[in-house]
Amino acid sequence: MISYHPDSRYLTDFATANLPLAEAVCVSAHLEFCGKCRAHVQQLTDVGGHMFARLQPEAVSEDSFAALMARVSAGAQEQAPVVTVQTPREELDETTQSHVFLPRAVRRLVSGSLDKLRWVQLGKALRVAPLQVSDESRDTAIYDIRAGGRMPEHEHRGEEITVLLQGSFSDADGSYSRGDFVVRHAGESHQPTATMDKDCICLVCLERPVRPRGLLYRLLEPLVNYRLQRLNRSVA
Amino acid sequence: MTSSDDSTAGSLRKALAGAGPLGAPDPWEAAIRKVAQHQDRAEFKKLFDHYAPMIKAFLSKGISSYADRSLAEEMTQEVMLKVWNKADSFNPAKASVNTWIFTIARNTRIDFIRRNGRADRTIDIEDIWHEADSPEPVVELQQRRVETMIRNAMATLPEEQALVLEKAFMESKSHNEIAEELALPLGTVKSRIRLALSKLQILIDR
Ligand SMILES: [Zn+2]
Repeated sequence: MISYHPDSRYLTDFATANLPLAEAVCVSAHLEFCGKCRAHVQQLTDVGGHMFARLQPEAVSEDSFAALMARVSAGAQEQAPVVTVQTPREELDETTQSHVFLPRAVRRLVSGSLDKLRWVQLGKALRVAPLQVSDESRDTAIYDIRAGGRMPEHEHRGEEITVLLQGSFSDADGSYSRGDFVVRHAGESHQPTATMDKDCICLVCLERPVRPRGLLYRLLEPLVNYRLQRLNRSVA
Repeated sequence: MTSSDDSTAGSLRKALAGAGPLGAPDPWEAAIRKVAQHQDRAEFKKLFDHYAPMIKAFLSKGISSYADRSLAEEMTQEVMLKVWNKADSFNPAKASVNTWIFTIARNTRIDFIRRNGRADRTIDIEDIWHEADSPEPVVELQQRRVETMIRNAMATLPEEQALVLEKAFMESKSHNEIAEELALPLGTVKSRIRLALSKLQILIDR
């Protein structure tokens, strides 16, 4: 049961294709789990179609159609058979022997397999793999929290979107399960704990701090800060 | 996906929206079908004459600020080429012709902006903005397809609400960009858009 959905800003900016790419990946992933939001996006796209059909037309140049058909003819001659790369919709998680469903955008970003990612282990409970999305304002990663594992409490300097791909976790504000789209704003802090039965795999998109730093550092920064704070506290 | 859920939705949509005001079917659906099945160039010419000027108008709104107008012409051709190539993937149960061509123009525009900005492309636009072939069925909202509702309600929107919709959907601006341009708080832009959408019977919880 999905309880957390993108709000009207995310859905509208997605339907008009005005969302930063990394956030659009998160919304796209949620849509594959959520028929309700998918229906909303269809409705919003219909609004676009309606307004589009009522635009004041702008004449195209006279030879435009002929030029287009020349391209069509040229294309038909050299047309190679379309090769569609079939990446599996699910893959076997080797540690848990369970199938993980990956939404299309995520499947593409991880090149089909979670195991081939560059994982960075952070303590016993958490490993993180950064993903490459050409988006200058956000960092994207897959988080894998061990079943029953607890992340250190951390605070965000920017907005954070989490889409749960497998398993579930909870924090002080609620519990979240597969497909949920969870937004944490700058300044909010939380301490997610994965439920006992399953590893929790999440797609995470973090707004970048104003001062740029290394990619991996930025992804881990909330956790690193936590450790530093603890350290300072114990020294003081 | 051709589940029974979808075909029901399709006939519902046709009853609500695919048909014109007098119940006439959308004439452009047949044209797309002929292009898909017979590579019918005469029908494609009709589609081109009708849609290319609208596509150009849409793209001009989105790119006027940073590029010259010949670009809109070039991209219009790109969109119509995709209409030709993808005609067989058009599914009248999922979208009207207007909506389908709008999404192709929208994707072409964003794809162009991206390619211009950066060379590395780790993910295709089509991997993000796709008709999800997900096992989760689309929920039947009270009015899943809202074109009739849109047609009737759009004209009655207060000007400030019509304006933000115009900026979001036709000028391709995000909530943030609209807020900046109109010097309004983000929350005001969001509530205006949400209010406008609710009048079109698009009822988003938050
Ligand atoms: Zn949803």
